[in-house]
Amino acid sequence: MPHSAAPILKVEHLSYRYPTGQLALRGVSLTVGLNEIVGLVGPNGAGKTTLLLHLNGLLTGTREPAHAPGLPANPAATGRQTTVGGHNVPIEVLGMPVTPANFPEIRRNVGVMFQDPDDQLFCPTVRDDVAFGPLNLEFPRNEVRRRVAEALTAVGLADYEERRPHELSFGEKRRVCLAGVLACEPSLLALDEPSSNLDPRSRRGLIEILKSCRAAQIIASHDLEMIVELCQRVIVLDHGQIQADGPTRDILGNASLMARHGLEVPLSIQYGLPLPPTASSPPSAT
Amino acid sequence: MAVEFLERYSQGQSLCHRWPARAKIVLTLLVIATGTLLPLEYWPASGCLAGLALVGLSVADIPLGYIGRRLALFLPLVLMTALAAPLSRGFMGAWDTAAVIVLRSTVAFLAALWLVSTTPLETLLAGLCRLGMPRVFVSLLIFTLRYLYVLFDELARMKTAQRARTFQRQSTWRSWLGTTQLVGMLLIRALNRAERIHAAMMSRGWRGRMELLDD
Repeated sequence: MPHSAAPILKVEHLSYRYPTGQLALRGVSLTVGLNEIVGLVGPNGAGKTTLLLHLNGLLTGTREPAHAPGLPANPAATGRQTTVGGHNVPIEVLGMPVTPANFPEIRRNVGVMFQDPDDQLFCPTVRDDVAFGPLNLEFPRNEVRRRVAEALTAVGLADYEERRPHELSFGEKRRVCLAGVLACEPSLLALDEPSSNLDPRSRRGLIEILKSCRAAQIIASHDLEMIVELCQRVIVLDHGQIQADGPTRDILGNASLMARHGLEVPLSIQYGLPLPPTASSPPSAT
Repeated sequence: MAVEFLERYSQGQSLCHRWPARAKIVLTLLVIATGTLLPLEYWPASGCLAGLALVGLSVADIPLGYIGRRLALFLPLVLMTALAAPLSRGFMGAWDTAAVIVLRSTVAFLAALWLVSTTPLETLLAGLCRLGMPRVFVSLLIFTLRYLYVLFDELARMKTAQRARTFQRQSTWRSWLGTTQLVGMLLIRALNRAERIHAAMMSRGWRGRMELLDD
């Protein structure tokens, strides 16, 4: 794949086996360029979430090509672990290998949003939660306040600072999560099912917010219409392997490829429908 | 919601509600300490402290019925403990000790009830934090407060799902069995959730110190 800019994320031959023995990723390689928005699609259990958890070092897989001899062996059992020090680490973010020494810098640059907003909103108030990242990055209080206000404005919840997470609707919770990630001003957003369980209005609001983000994005989702709208490029992941990687319309429009991996050609591509117009006003709180 | 009882009255507007949280915490601790440390024979003073706590509760507009219901949950536990004193004498004395145990516990209980009924929990935690309570306890309480609601919701959903598949009136034994399974599942789900929360915290740069913007 030709990329216009230097890669922000580079993954090479990433393999990961869960402690239970299940092989979740087999030799995954991909790159994401600056300002690129990449869709990550695939059936349930394909390894999408596992891949996202690797991007900021929450999981640490090994660097092994898919068909390397001995791959099915359990890394823990064979003592094969990621070599700390650079050259054998399967993931690089902004040129930095994802190793424990780089975790602070990497976690500041890679913002991960999880599926269940209740897992991510762990502070007593919306303000504390959005401030959590910047405070841990040890920014001065004034800078933290500025970032909180800015992030909440970006998601259309400017006057929600005092609210408590359990009083929010699901859509509002999801937006606060996004604000918490945006407050760290990451260069790459890794979003796990950002539109799941949202009503159409909240989903539309979220899509508009993502469109207005400057960061590169990797979006794992079953919401293929959203992928068509947001992403120029799509990666199909199945059985822990990358099955296809290319321009969105070519990949999602390929009926046999979609069928092979438990997906469907989105209706907008099937019927050649135009994309919804971009909202001119910022999304309002719902 | 099932946990609304926790904060039913803490958002009020009375005189007590407007006092600064730190002053209320110190006052409550003083009342509890005095009430517990007074010698046995000073029990009328302990009684006065209980009265004082009740006055505080009435100034804060907390209904008597609510206080009564809280006490009804609390007193049986204390009575069991208090009975240990006479029990150790073969029920031949020490009844005064038992009575004082009940009285002291009631003082502490009423004072604490006054504190939590006049202070929203976030304010209370911020106050404790500023009074120098170790960060780790503050973090624990913050998480407890946040996830109590989530866990109660989860429990309510699981109960509904269980009821939806319960077709007839069950024997007590079977319903108890169902409840134990529910509690077990809740524990497992809570553990899994804890792992996900930890991952979310690590993602946003957690370094072991809970910071709140306001302190």
